[in-house]
Amino acid sequence: MELKTLIGRAKRGLREELRLYLVAITSLSVAFLCVAGALLALTNLSALAERWGQSARMTVYLRDGAQAADVAQLRVVLESLPEVREVEELSSEDARALFLQHAEVSADLAALPPEVFPPSLELSLASGIAPARVDAMAARVAQLRAVEDVETYRGWFDRLDSLLSAGRGLAGVLALLVGLCVLAVIGNTIRLAVARRRDEIEVLKLCGATDAFVRGPFVVEGTFQGFAAAVLAVLVLLVGFMTLRSELDASLAALTGIRAAFLQPWMLIALVLGGALIGAAGSALSLRRYLTV
Amino acid sequence: MARDGKVVRPFAFFRAGAQSDSRANRPILAFEDVYKYFRKDQPTLRGVNLVIERGEFCFVTGPSGAGKSTLLQLVYRKHTVDAGRILFAGRDVARLTSGSIPFLRRNLGIVFQDFKVVKHWTVFENVAVALEILDMPPRLVRARVAEALERVGLAGRGDDRTESLSGGEQQRVAIARAIVTEPALILADEPTGNLDPHLAIDILTLFEEIHATGTTVLFATHDHSLIGQRDHRIIALDDGRVLEARTGLRSWPGAADTRPADVRPSVADARPHEGSGLRVVAGSSRSGSSRTG
Repeated sequence: MELKTLIGRAKRGLREELRLYLVAITSLSVAFLCVAGALLALTNLSALAERWGQSARMTVYLRDGAQAADVAQLRVVLESLPEVREVEELSSEDARALFLQHAEVSADLAALPPEVFPPSLELSLASGIAPARVDAMAARVAQLRAVEDVETYRGWFDRLDSLLSAGRGLAGVLALLVGLCVLAVIGNTIRLAVARRRDEIEVLKLCGATDAFVRGPFVVEGTFQGFAAAVLAVLVLLVGFMTLRSELDASLAALTGIRAAFLQPWMLIALVLGGALIGAAGSALSLRRYLTV
Repeated sequence: MARDGKVVRPFAFFRAGAQSDSRANRPILAFEDVYKYFRKDQPTLRGVNLVIERGEFCFVTGPSGAGKSTLLQLVYRKHTVDAGRILFAGRDVARLTSGSIPFLRRNLGIVFQDFKVVKHWTVFENVAVALEILDMPPRLVRARVAEALERVGLAGRGDDRTESLSGGEQQRVAIARAIVTEPALILADEPTGNLDPHLAIDILTLFEEIHATGTTVLFATHDHSLIGQRDHRIIALDDGRVLEARTGLRSWPGAADTRPADVRPSVADARPHEGSGLRVVAGSSRSGSSRTG
């Protein structure tokens, strides 16, 4: 079948069933919006994890009254470790000033004395170090005389990792459900269109049309539905994101240090192409039983 | 019908006038001991033997349920024979794969009692669809459709919505669609069943004009007033058997009967008897040999 004929017949079908298809596209876009929303959340969580992962840190809290010579020796030891990129010493006053600078705190907390904040050595770790190696290093450093405690922030990373894994799983399940939902909605829409255009199909078959000729326009129509629904969902999400971006940025930056990001271009393309593909598959599958004339 | 070197209608040699192949000398249609069962204990067709020569015009008649429509439906493979063979230009249609059926139908023009036109399409679209299936270029489609519409008396009506036409005009659209591809054989299944007597005669005349150009026509009807006005070969079916296959009602017993058609004894009512010229041509006998003219 010539492409022009195929497109022409599909356009005629879309015109004739415009209302039906508009309802279907609206329903489908809600489903796609769920997937796109989940992807957006995952994108930002991943960005957060990446940022935190890149800035792997360790804090070595010093004992009260630790001798300056011991601290200097400790610093030399730490700087000699291959896992450590940089060592910064924070006195109690520095720690208090840093706390007051980064946190919006009330006057009551600002009145805390510097002694509340223990002096520490802030370690920037080299990137790509395995968590087990960081743990082993922390255990070794904790044995040293001037050291009170060692904080690796592993708990936070573990929790974030778990959150990301759960998020990915949820997005996967959601994508699967939406895929099935899109297949069902497009399949039913096409079935309805086929039922309304049964005469047309019968005429085509009696004139010698092959199954591919009959199926072609319906597949194009299903593809268009999936494509249009995915594009609509992306547009709605973009409008919502742009509207809420300033508020999101303010809270996310304060909480996590990152700015909200929209879906990456490849995700948008995958979403739209995926929608079109599922639409095509849904209509092709739903037509099989109607082609026997 | 070839385009870009590709034969789009594999049985193109069936077309009237194309006599170069040895197959051209074979009967266009032959039924050999054909049985069709829709109920296990009651065959709809039982042992039908018939030969339709190229360029013939045949009436297929008989009471309701005699098997007229089934006979035609077996030819265009809506159903498949349960026993026996149907040879279309020497090919057994029952042995065609489902993928080949569209190519069989491209060599047939099929006209129905209920017209089977797509009401919301224009007249042009209804006729052009038969050519679009053949991948014919739009310019040629326009020319061929205009020619076909002229032949059926609908010249200049291409842009009219088919639903706005009268019953007779809709049937003309169906006939134009059937002839636009210049098929080798036209199967007309009660094409005048929904029309008043005057229109029925018009439509019959139209089929005869088409037949005059060399196309074979198989015209199923139970309307003896229509059959009585013409001198074509008659194939009478009753209870799934071929009762008679001869030319013209005028040579039949009671042909001189001037009573109205609805009170005259019908062909199908006739029972085989000695010396009447009627005989059952079921079983192994070949109706082609029993023809009188």
